[in-house]
Amino acid sequence: MKVLKKLPLRVLLFSLLAMLAVAVTVTAQKQPQNFEVRIGAILASNQSDEFDARLKGLEKQLRVLKYRSYRLLTDKSENIPWKGSKVFEIPGGRSLMVAPQEFQDNRIGLQVRLTEGQKPLLDTTVRIANKGNFILGGPPHEGGVLVLSISAAVQ
Amino acid sequence: MNGCEDKTASIERWLDGELSGAESESLRAHLAACAECSEARRRLEKLQSALTGVLLAEAQRVDFAPFRRAVQLRVNEKRPWHQEALDWMHDAFPVSRAAWVVPALIVLLLAVVSLESYLPGWRGAGRNAFATVDSIDAYGRNVALLREYDTKTTVIWLYQDQEGENEGAEETAPAGPAF
Repeated sequence: MKVLKKLPLRVLLFSLLAMLAVAVTVTAQKQPQNFEVRIGAILASNQSDEFDARLKGLEKQLRVLKYRSYRLLTDKSENIPWKGSKVFEIPGGRSLMVAPQEFQDNRIGLQVRLTEGQKPLLDTTVRIANKGNFILGGPPHEGGVLVLSISAAVQ
Repeated sequence: MNGCEDKTASIERWLDGELSGAESESLRAHLAACAECSEARRRLEKLQSALTGVLLAEAQRVDFAPFRRAVQLRVNEKRPWHQEALDWMHDAFPVSRAAWVVPALIVLLLAVVSLESYLPGWRGAGRNAFATVDSIDAYGRNVALLREYDTKTTVIWLYQDQEGENEGAEETAPAGPAF
């Protein structure tokens, strides 16, 4: 009976401690130190039926686009520190600046800027799943189009 | 009746068997010594005997069978399932125990939050696999956005207008999105 009488106080104390633990856990969510950003530059065209074997992992995604041929031109991977940015050289005298902006709910916010020489082509902010990717395409290249697979992973 | 005014009530309680052993002994000793109280006791015994006789005689004429049947019916009556469930809940989770639900829920929340931060993606890749586009600025060029659900693919596609700025360029770009 003594225990029962003390129970509400115990419940209250336990609740307060648990809430404190939740607050500490939520605020202490670890921010990643580095992001690994990988840019695959692919030439998509209708000039042949070739499908580059190195693109096997991206085949399903690339088949969304209505081209017959896909060839990997460059595949670059860079570590970018939190709040940092990196410029990737893209075939055709273009460059791609990638800056990880945030990491929340296992998703990475990326700011991506595509330029051709000094001329900006596209500026976008995209949130992708950790170890996920998105496709950026359209700039003409060698009789086809350039397709970029931009992926990022927390390290 | 000197000092015996309060004895009548005690005698009634004694006759009903409500006195303790010591009180009964004390009263019995008093009755043996006090003629008036002894007389009061006899009167009360007579009255009690008369009342019992009358009540027993009356009770024999009363038919208790319907009463007994009704009680038996109530005893055998099957209670509705929700009443049984409520009773079981009350027995199994008294208010003092049910109060633990609050901290238990908080601990559960803590576990979920912790799992998400220490085991990112434990809820499955499908839920968050889609890339979402917060903003796009194509500097006046045409841009198309495709989200393909089967492969969870998000495509941002830049394309030129038929009368686009690059019409004099060596390379030709498609006049529309490639999907």
